[in-house]
Amino acid sequence: MILIVLAALILISWSGYHNHLRRSLESQQRAASHVVLTRDGEGGSPPAGEATGTPTDSGSDYRPGALEHKAAPAFTLVDLNGRKVSLSDYRGKAVLVNFWATWCGPCQVEIPWFIQLHNQYASQGFEILGVSNDTLDDDDQTRLEQEKQEVSTYAAKMKMNYPVLLHGDTLAAAYGNFDSLPTSFFIDRKGTVVAETNGLHPRDEVEADIKKALATGGQ
Amino acid sequence: MLLLPASHVLSGGPLFAQTIPSVSRSGSKTSVQFLYPEQISVPAGKPFSTDLHFRVDPGLHINSHSPHEKSLIPTNLLVVEEPGLKVQSVDFPVGAEYSFAFSPAEKLSIYSDQFVLRAHLTAERGEHLLQGVLRYQACDSNSCYPPKTIPVAIDVIAK
Repeated sequence: MILIVLAALILISWSGYHNHLRRSLESQQRAASHVVLTRDGEGGSPPAGEATGTPTDSGSDYRPGALEHKAAPAFTLVDLNGRKVSLSDYRGKAVLVNFWATWCGPCQVEIPWFIQLHNQYASQGFEILGVSNDTLDDDDQTRLEQEKQEVSTYAAKMKMNYPVLLHGDTLAAAYGNFDSLPTSFFIDRKGTVVAETNGLHPRDEVEADIKKALATGGQ
Repeated sequence: MLLLPASHVLSGGPLFAQTIPSVSRSGSKTSVQFLYPEQISVPAGKPFSTDLHFRVDPGLHINSHSPHEKSLIPTNLLVVEEPGLKVQSVDFPVGAEYSFAFSPAEKLSIYSDQFVLRAHLTAERGEHLLQGVLRYQACDSNSCYPPKTIPVAIDVIAK
């Protein structure tokens, strides 16, 4: 009799545990759905830019400095006015390609530095491309316009005096799968990456990298 | 351990969805984990409150439910609507004040270490699955990571 009761208890416990496992699995399977229903939902496919890179989710394999001394990957993105901007348009200039986002606090600190340094070194052939990694919902035209306006408003508030490009997430794979912002690439006049930084770095270090990009690559 | 008293809360509604929004894909590191509970027993048909425990990875922080800057992405809970289970509201703790070392004048409202959300719900008799996602955006001391989501799933047994 005792054995029967014990067996029944074991059966009940196993059944409950199995049911919990099933529910957990069902939950995980549902979570793999690509349906994004809210404005703040994440995921889905990044919008198709004209970058040579492949859209990716995050930089789990990011290695800082992997692109140094290599040719900067080519790209074409659209600026806030809808104009196409290519990295190749700036051949012969030293270029800082800075990946940022409106939600990135450290980015907000360095952007004023960039503005000052752009003013200081533009006459020597220095340019900055501010590539926004803000998520843009290409499937919803109304939201897309609102999101673009938010980036535009932010750029105006910060007084960014250099091109601001959209859909920066489409370049993540080509530029080493970086997984955090800000991330910057300093490119010389011949298109070679001379320095790469991830995270906020001191202003004088930024200026030194700009000088390095201006000094190398020749005309 | 950041566990604020119940009096220091902000009540906010969860965001509702009919299916779960896509979560951060596997291979993409998430900085926050849902700890527990996995299962709760509640009185059928009566209001009930349960605490949802989360942990932020060491060295990181996430924006609170009410960050001071409009451009910052708040922590939110999105809940899938399910017949027989109604989540009336969710209490979010007030964030702690934090400043990046490079910007001491700018105060952020953040969660770090462990934090707790309190969900207020009512369930009809039977078994239900409270499922949803927590959306957050994390930073370390000098860089920030893209917004991410993690799944939240709790068996609700109403008797």
